[in-house]
Amino acid sequence: GSKVCLKEKQLPLCILVNTREVSSGPEVISLLKTKHAVKVEVCSLGDCDYIVSNRLAVERRSQLEFANSTNRNKLTERIQHLQSMFERICVVVEKDKVKAGDTSRIFHRTKYYDSMLSSMISAGIRILFSSGQEDTASLLKELALTEHRKNAGILVPTEVTGHKREVLQFYLSIPHVSYVTALTLCHHFDSIKQMTNSSVNEISTRAQVSHKKAEEIYSYVHYVLESQILAGSVNIKEKQ
Amino acid sequence: MTAKESTPVQVGAAAVPYGHAIGSEKWRGSALAQQLQGKIKLVFEENLGLVDFHLPNRICILYVSETDLVSGNGFKRRLVRFRNASNLHGIVITEKTRLSEQYFPPIQKFIVLELGMTLLPVASQSETSQLIIQLVREQSKEHESNPFFHRKRPHLMETSVLQTVQQIPGVGKVKALQLLQQFPNINKLSNASIQQLELVVGRVLAQQIYTFLTQTK
Repeated sequence: GSKVCLKEKQLPLCILVNTREVSSGPEVISLLKTKHAVKVEVCSLGDCDYIVSNRLAVERRSQLEFANSTNRNKLTERIQHLQSMFERICVVVEKDKVKAGDTSRIFHRTKYYDSMLSSMISAGIRILFSSGQEDTASLLKELALTEHRKNAGILVPTEVTGHKREVLQFYLSIPHVSYVTALTLCHHFDSIKQMTNSSVNEISTRAQVSHKKAEEIYSYVHYVLESQILAGSVNIKEKQ
Repeated sequence: MTAKESTPVQVGAAAVPYGHAIGSEKWRGSALAQQLQGKIKLVFEENLGLVDFHLPNRICILYVSETDLVSGNGFKRRLVRFRNASNLHGIVITEKTRLSEQYFPPIQKFIVLELGMTLLPVASQSETSQLIIQLVREQSKEHESNPFFHRKRPHLMETSVLQTVQQIPGVGKVKALQLLQQFPNINKLSNASIQQLELVVGRVLAQQIYTFLTQTK
């Protein structure tokens, strides 16, 4: 017990936040920093709202948006994209602020809403319900804490500068590699050369990813381009 | 196997056919049961122990009413007993009303984050029946119709590899293709010597690529 406490004291909880959330959830971010003493790193996470551990992405959705069936395709595509990068997904359904007298923004539970919840649950996606941004902030903190206890917390430095920034972009271009995995690759391998020469097991240990994900990365760096596309390059040469 | 009153979970109830649900005897005649009947096949059984409804695919519904929430922590013991007694997927449905709302956040933390179970709030019993019907229907569906069952999405490896190589500073599409013609994968490229690289690109760029791929800090 005491050993864990010590570890937690040395390294503050860390959550990666998408730049987009600065405008859509400013209260979430400021409460994470001030009330919960979480280290918040705002970065371009692309299709992801929050990353709270090496393997867990959190999608924050307003309840009205979640319950509106016209958003179905957008939402499913986004979750599918998260599933290709993360082992675990959690959706936080956040209640909307309703102004007095504004009846258009009152939530009505529909069959669509229930079927969406059912599909997510049976696919193993976790769902949390929040009463507002304040609640969401504390849920994010609890999630990060739980993941930290399971040794999946984000322990690498989240700032990248100079040469590392370019290397991060290189790792980010690997298909289905999340921002936090790219960051870990950056910090836990001495060079790109060392990474591409590593075995599946080495990648899995150092990048802190599942064996399956490590295999995916391994086969990507060893993927031999077919001659067809390379023949295309000859044409380009000729055109020059 | 004899099911005593103290049996927390009835093992036999784990295999429920699609489109069916097994309800605890205590729900017989309730408004909830009436709303379910006709939409799904509901069978009542005694001695379901801690579980209110068994659904297909090893899903169990544990119902926590407004009164349960307000009257203290008794229901927590029930959930912990369920969790310890079985590896079935427990879904807790709870009445989140104006009266019980304030108890919700700590309960969610306990059920979802500590016990690892699923928690779904409803406002009334009629919402509960609608939700249970959807949960049962979801289980009868083919996996393909659930968009969240992980399917490998095809993507063009060629295009991705080309884009990755273009992340090397100074390398655009043309240079990337030329490099890959000589070194057919990322691993081979990162093991290339400066001399080998120079045969494909100029001296300055060869040095730059080599440094980028091998630089340690």
